[in-house]
Order: sequence, then structure tokens, then C-alpha cells
Amino acid sequence: MNLASLALRNLKRRPIRTALSILGIGLAVGSAIALMAVSRTIQDSTREGIEEIGDDLVVMQKGASDIFGGFIPEQTIERIAEIPGVARVSGELVAFAPGNSATSVRILGWPDAGYLWKKVPLREGRAPAAGERRVAVLGDAAAASFGKKLDDELSLIGETFRVIGIAGYSTLTNRGLVLVPLADLQEASYRPHQVTIAHVSVEHADDRVALGRVQTEIEALGNVVAATARDVLDKDRNFAILEAVSLAVAIIAVAMSALNVFTALVMATHERTREIGIFVAIGWSRGRIVKSIVIEGFLLCAMGCVLGVALSFLPAFAFPRIPTIGHLISVKPSAGLIAPVIAAAFMLCLLGALLPAWRAARMLPAEALRRM
Amino acid sequence: MIEAIDPGAASHGSFRARSLIALRGVSRIYDGGAIAALRNVDLQIREGDCIAIVGASGSGKSSLINILCGIDYPTSGHVIWGGRAIRKKRDWVWLRRFRIGIVFQEFNLIPTLTALENVELALLGHGMPAKHRYTRAGMVLGHVGLDHRPHHLVTKLSGGERQRVAIARAIVNEPKLLLADEPTGNLDSASAAKIADLLFNLRELTGMTLVLVTHDDALATRCSRQIRLRDGAVVEDTLRALTLGSIAAKSKT
Repeated sequence: MNLASLALRNLKRRPIRTALSILGIGLAVGSAIALMAVSRTIQDSTREGIEEIGDDLVVMQKGASDIFGGFIPEQTIERIAEIPGVARVSGELVAFAPGNSATSVRILGWPDAGYLWKKVPLREGRAPAAGERRVAVLGDAAAASFGKKLDDELSLIGETFRVIGIAGYSTLTNRGLVLVPLADLQEASYRPHQVTIAHVSVEHADDRVALGRVQTEIEALGNVVAATARDVLDKDRNFAILEAVSLAVAIIAVAMSALNVFTALVMATHERTREIGIFVAIGWSRGRIVKSIVIEGFLLCAMGCVLGVALSFLPAFAFPRIPTIGHLISVKPSAGLIAPVIAAAFMLCLLGALLPAWRAARMLPAEALRRM
Repeated sequence: MIEAIDPGAASHGSFRARSLIALRGVSRIYDGGAIAALRNVDLQIREGDCIAIVGASGSGKSSLINILCGIDYPTSGHVIWGGRAIRKKRDWVWLRRFRIGIVFQEFNLIPTLTALENVELALLGHGMPAKHRYTRAGMVLGHVGLDHRPHHLVTKLSGGERQRVAIARAIVNEPKLLLADEPTGNLDSASAAKIADLLFNLRELTGMTLVLVTHDDALATRCSRQIRLRDGAVVEDTLRALTLGSIAAKSKT
């Protein structure tokens, strides 16, 4: 027998309370991981989406609150194209329109015969020809959501488009896209001669110096910022807010788990006051008593964390099966997310266990032994 | 009262035994002075003593035992062990771990543990390997006549058996001083007699000092020294010259 087995015995002694405490910690840890994972996955998914469509650099309006919130004049695109080291550039107008369900669909407008069209992984059909209007290429998830196939007509933002292609993008965000000619989208969204962002392909993009030089020259044009797809979301206020909210809720959730440990141990030590008196009477030191109660808290926390990690994977399986969520959000809890949440849970649970342990160890033994 | 008698002489013939533990002007006041459990008690207990503390309920017997093992502290006065005043809690922890064993009337065992585990509890923190703890706890359970039920939960044991477990737990560290607070108080007469025999036999075997609180006159007279408390003060401290024969005769009555 040792302190751990003694602690385990104490937990088994009150199975319902122990189970409820573990469940409480598990739910808190699971929610914290899932929330962080949702936030991280949304960012990763958006970033991967941009990388899948675009190129080396993304240019957006300086000071725009988010990547889709600014506008750049088409003239700026022409000036970017003239910068030495720029291989190709394409503007992109972004708009959102109501989809078939409660969610909205993202529409991208690309210039006729622009190079972005050539990168579309077409599963069926084709890309628009030069000058072709009122046509659309749908991501496979968007096509499924609208129930459209080739040559069907699709009404969006007050216009009717003929479906001429179905794209097989790999990222969740791009699978829900609708791609249309830039001129159509500019007209429909009242944004003539404007784009939201620009994708820039740089010669010798592997050369960090060359890439940095082009980036500097683009920004020198004024009122725009250029960044790699990996970095561009760091400038996005919406993602910063999403991350902050997720972190705040995760911290609250993990703090709740510590509160669970605290209340469970306060109750347990209160009920076992007499036992603690016995430990003192047989020569246990204050440190050993604290240790035994803290071990109990750690065991609760460990079991709660195992449950929490298991629960955090539930959304990963459940979300794809929920239509309103599945095509927008995927959750992928990773070791990088789980580790800090578990570490924080253990730290807070240690604090939650220390107070009742400290109180128990300070009791006058004779007083403790008189308790029933 | 101190040094008025020489209890050690009874225990060890003409050899004057060393002082083991002593109280000097000990008082224990509760509720801001409303209750005086002990009043200015002076007491010396020598190595090998066998002492019965007697007195009516509320006379301060349990308070005295609690102070002798450091699970309660005097409001004033000192407790002296081996000639040195004990002032720090950690000194008391050390004494209870290695030098003082306690047996309670209510057994005070951990209900979720087996007999063997309850005994083993007192060995945790000795830096002893688990296997040695297990062996030693089992051996001591054998000494108290419970080697046939070591793995039973204590809740499944009879009162007498539980008190044997409590005694085993108290002596597993080979204490110099065994304190027993009404050790037979919760037992039927047959079990009480067996537990009393066990305590006195263990004392004879090990030579440890035994201090027991009792209401039972028959049990008290088996001790060589009786201390009577009244209203928190020692009113009588008597030494009896008992022979082994007379102890045996009393144990049969």
C-alpha cells in the first residue's frame, strides 16, 4: 500500500461523487480542448484554403479589420504586376451570399482567363472562357449543398449563374466555394473596379530575401499590406478575436475543473476529518497528509483529463455529420492543443487540492478525532 | 506530587529507571477559560512504568492522554521527553512515529482498509520498502493473534478483533510508550479481558511503558501505579507492589 493506492481507495469509497467530479473535470477539459481546436481549425482551414487557391503572397488593404473586409482598386493590381520579381498577380473579390441552409456561401470573383482559374482542380466541367459571363464553378460541397450539377442554374446575389464546373478542392473552406467571373461579382456586389485581395506569385519565392523585397515594394505602393498566406491571418482582427474568445472560454472551463477538484476535496476532507486526525495520531507529518490529499486531487484530475481528451474528439466525429456545421467547421484536437490544456488543468487542480489539504493538515488532531 | 513516589522501583526492582516523559505545570483550558480540563498537572512517567489513569467522566483523563501523545497541546506548562521539553510540532510527529503508540476506545481504524493495511499505515513515511512494511505489519498482526484475518476489511471484524488491529498498529513501530484510552470501553466483557491480557502481555514481553485510561477497577489494579484525576487535577498517585502472581490472579477474576 502507498499514498496513491490509499487515495484511490478513498475515491472508490464515494463512487458517485468521484464519478461526478471526474465528469465535471472531463467536461471542462473536453470543452476547453474542443473550443481551442475549433478556433485553431478555423484558422488553419482558412489558411490552408488561401494556400490551396493562391500563391506566395496575399495583398490586402492596410488597416482592414479582416482579410475579407478591405478593398483594393484594380489599378493597384496592375502596379503590383509591374514590380520586378512578380511573376503573376490576380485580384480576387470576395462576397457572401445566403446559401440553401442557414449559413452563407463564399463567392470568389476572378478575372477572365486569370491564372487562378488554371489552378482549379476541376472534377467535372471546365473553367470560364475569356469573356464568358454568368457562369460558375462550384466546390463539390457547395454543389451538394445547393443540389446542383453541370448546366444547372444557380441563383445567387440577385443573379443567375450556369454551373459549368465542379471543383474538387481538398480543404473544407474551398469545398464550399462558388467561383464566378470577377466582372459578374463586381457588378452584382456594386464594387466596380475593386477587388478584396490580390494573390501574387513571386519569382524565386524560395529565396526569403527576394520574397521580402517584393513584399516591401508592394507595401510601398501605399494603403496595402502583403504577407504570406501563413502570416496573413495574424493580421486578421476577426481571427484574433476568435482566438481570444476561445482562449478565455477555455480558461474559464479549465478553472471550472479546478473548482470541481476543490469542492470534491473540501467535501472529502471535511467528511474524513476524523481519519486525518488518526493519521496525525499515528505519526504522519503535515507534509504527508497534504501529499495524500493532493495525490487524491491529482488522481481526480488525471481521470477527468482522460475523459476530457476522449470527449474533445467527439465533435471531430459529430460535426461533419451536422449539415449546418459540417461544411464550415472541422475540429481536429492535436497534441499541441491537448498538452497545454492538460498542463493548465493539472496546475489549477493542484491549487484546488492544496487549500483543503492545507486546512486538513492544520487541524488540531485531538479536535479532529472528536469529530464523527 | 512529582518524585513523591518512585514508580520505576516497582517496575524494575531496585533499579531506578530513567524518566521517559514528564508534565510540568500543565494546564489545558478550553473555551477561553470556561472549562479547565487539566489544572497545573505535574507528573513523571518512568521507563517501564505500568500506569492506570482513573477518575470520573470529565475528570481530565483523556485530555491528559492527548497531551501525553501531543495530539493536543497544553495551554500552559511543558511536556518533557527524555529530559528535554517538546516545543515543536515536528518533534511530536517524530515521537508518535517512532516512540509513542496510541490505542483508542473507538479503535479509530480506517474502514476502507484491511487489517493489514491499517497496521501498515503507521509504517508509511519510515523509508521502509513496501515489502518490508507488509511483512512487518503481518508479523505484528500475528503477535496480537490476528494472523488468520489480515486481509479482511476492518468493518468485517468483531470489536475485539478491531481493537487487536488498533493495538498492532500502535506497537508496529516498537514504541517506548503505549497510551491506551479506555481500550476495553467498547468491548463485551470476554473481549475486554482478552484485550487487557494482550496489553499486559505485550508490556511484559517488550518492557514498554504502558499508560492506560480506564473506568474498570479490575483493569486499573493490574497496573503497578494508579493516578486518580478529579476536576483536572491529580488527587492521588499510588504505587502498588504487585507480583506476577497477583497480576495473574487478578486477571482471572
